[in-house]
Amino acid sequence: MQKFLAVLKREYKKVVFTWTFVITTFLMPLIASAFVLVPLLIFSIEGESTRIAIADLNGSVAPRLRQNLSPEKIAEKARQAAKESLSDFSASQDEKMKRSAEQLGGTFTFVPYDPAGKSPEKIQTELRERIGKNELDAFLIIPKDIGARDREYGYFSRKAGDFVINSTLQDALNEAVRSQRLAEANISEDLLKDLGRKVNFTIKPLTETGEIKEDDSGPWAAFVVAMLIYVVLAIYGQAIMSAIVEEKETRISEVLFSSARPFELMMGKLVGVGLAGLTQLAIWLTTVAAFVGFGLASAAASGLDVALPTITVSMVVYFLVFFLLGYFIFATIYALIGSMVTNMQEGGQFALPPILLLLVGLYFCFAVIRDPNSSFAFWVSVAPFFAPIVMPVRILADTPPFWQIALAVLLNGAAIVGLTWAASRVYRVGMLMYGKRATIPEVWKWIRQS
Amino acid sequence: MDENKVTLKADSITKSFGDFTAVDSLSFEASAGRIFGFLGPNGAGKTTTIRMIVGITVPDEGRIDLFGRKISPALQDRIGYLPEERGLYKKMKVSDQLRYFAALKGVAAREADKRIDEWLGRMDLSDWKEKKTTDLSKGMQQKVQFISTMLHDPDLLILDEPFSGLDPINVEFMKEIIAETKSKDKTIIFSTHMMDTAEKLCDDILLINKSKKVVSGSLREIKESYGKNVVSLRCTGGEEVLADESLAAKVIDHADEKEVFLAKGADAQNLLGKLVGSGAQITKFQLIEPSLNDIFIEKIRG
Repeated sequence: MQKFLAVLKREYKKVVFTWTFVITTFLMPLIASAFVLVPLLIFSIEGESTRIAIADLNGSVAPRLRQNLSPEKIAEKARQAAKESLSDFSASQDEKMKRSAEQLGGTFTFVPYDPAGKSPEKIQTELRERIGKNELDAFLIIPKDIGARDREYGYFSRKAGDFVINSTLQDALNEAVRSQRLAEANISEDLLKDLGRKVNFTIKPLTETGEIKEDDSGPWAAFVVAMLIYVVLAIYGQAIMSAIVEEKETRISEVLFSSARPFELMMGKLVGVGLAGLTQLAIWLTTVAAFVGFGLASAAASGLDVALPTITVSMVVYFLVFFLLGYFIFATIYALIGSMVTNMQEGGQFALPPILLLLVGLYFCFAVIRDPNSSFAFWVSVAPFFAPIVMPVRILADTPPFWQIALAVLLNGAAIVGLTWAASRVYRVGMLMYGKRATIPEVWKWIRQS
Repeated sequence: MDENKVTLKADSITKSFGDFTAVDSLSFEASAGRIFGFLGPNGAGKTTTIRMIVGITVPDEGRIDLFGRKISPALQDRIGYLPEERGLYKKMKVSDQLRYFAALKGVAAREADKRIDEWLGRMDLSDWKEKKTTDLSKGMQQKVQFISTMLHDPDLLILDEPFSGLDPINVEFMKEIIAETKSKDKTIIFSTHMMDTAEKLCDDILLINKSKKVVSGSLREIKESYGKNVVSLRCTGGEEVLADESLAAKVIDHADEKEVFLAKGADAQNLLGKLVGSGAQITKFQLIEPSLNDIFIEKIRG
């Protein structure tokens, strides 16, 4: 026991007391949030106001357009867009892009221009000249007959690449032209708005027993959790493998085996690295919770209605249990691989299958989030190898009956016992085999014989 | 060998890997206060035998007793083992490394710190205490590893080729420490294929080849049993006498002298008389024992 603790302490310190650990632990959340924040920041850098001249051949669109482009109108639209993007995660990339453009808006300065009596060609020449003198950034030509189908609304701009400005202007113009057409057809815009409003489609999640659930923010929280488990399992499984390969490569195992029992050495390593992983996970989860809390608070402050996922103590306990189950399953697999191979390159090749197992588990989560009560969700959430990732997600999405959770713990616990038994045998023999990689039949023999 | 001081006793131990028998019913004894030379060519089964003594592997047959008890994990704390294949954690500081190995041998942290400082001072490595292995030269790494085998003050010290890679000054230094350990009545097993080193250090030897015992016993007795049948000769001329195979079975030329192995039944006096008669100028004519190296080569070549 004392030697086990000595090994545990060394392995824990070796992982935690390094710059790599400090950097990944504290920088990863920063980098992750940077992925979200930096684009927002970049877009929110307000460009200079676009100086635009409107050549309205029709005569009645320009006032409406100017009104639509007023700062108050743009701000209101931005808020609307923000709300929509929060409530709809499945929007396409294109739509998201458009929405974030809408959230930002652009500002315009109107340069007066009187097109009266001039031909479109003449207008173009005149205004292009003014752009050349840097009095203008862009101009828009609104055709005379806005009712016709094939009319072109030419937007000429030095800043044609600014998609924020483009999309703001396009939206405002569409609205202005539509309003004008409605007015010409004698239809009140208010009436049309009233008739055309969307139905109030409300999702009412039910529990297994048919009761209405209070909140429905579980799924996305569940996905974050699944990702975290996946990342930590992949990182620490590899860490175990490289630690074992190092001892084998440097022949330290010879001295270690003459000092302590191989089983103690292996378990000390697994538990020590596992605790290090748990430390990192705890820091990450706290950070995520803080960020989410902060994000939700600021969203709520700006008048958006976002539900907080309800996280109970039992959920945290389940999460820890399944994380540990997953860790020990994958760590023993990696330990087994580490004692078979002679160097990290060889180890890398063998590390692929367990990574694939993890990935498949991660993909199963999507199906489980969509339908947490299907029989498919039941099987993958109790099956060894997949349960550690899938079950916590299922618990968050829609907590299954307790017996299913217990079954998952039992099955995976049994898998760990079996794997540890096999891995300790392979470790004992493999660590003293230098020079050549063990073949699968050899490994099988070690497991059966020793 | 003083029977009362026998600390390690192997009784016909056998170890096989598949069809290959690495150690074949080997028996030997090692005693406290003596250096036991464990000799044999590469692949003879030395490392396999040592691994069974230190408890890394278990013999298929036979039994090993250490300090009067059957070997067990509990006895590992009383053994210090310096394997031939050396290794330290690359990115760990010397001090942390030594603390870890001491903890694995059951030495309390405070006691370990005290001993680490003592040993590093003695080995002239104090300035390197907080450095990582990768910053150390090969020789320094060897010394650090040697310290790690000594930290728990083992009663049985097993050194497998301890001098390889060390410069002559450090070899001498290491020999001093081995001698000091011996004087503390510890048992030392010294495994090597460097015969002249073994000859100078060992009290007892065990020579194995192809998994089997070839010779064992006190070095003195073994050498005496071979008798004095070699002449260390320095002379000019007399070539035709030395070419006579009824007198000299084999002549080895060294830089400035010859080693003459007398033929069976040949007499040293007779050889000397013939050499003088042939007019050779003799400056040295000494009857000597065969070296351990000679015995080794004769026994291994069969």
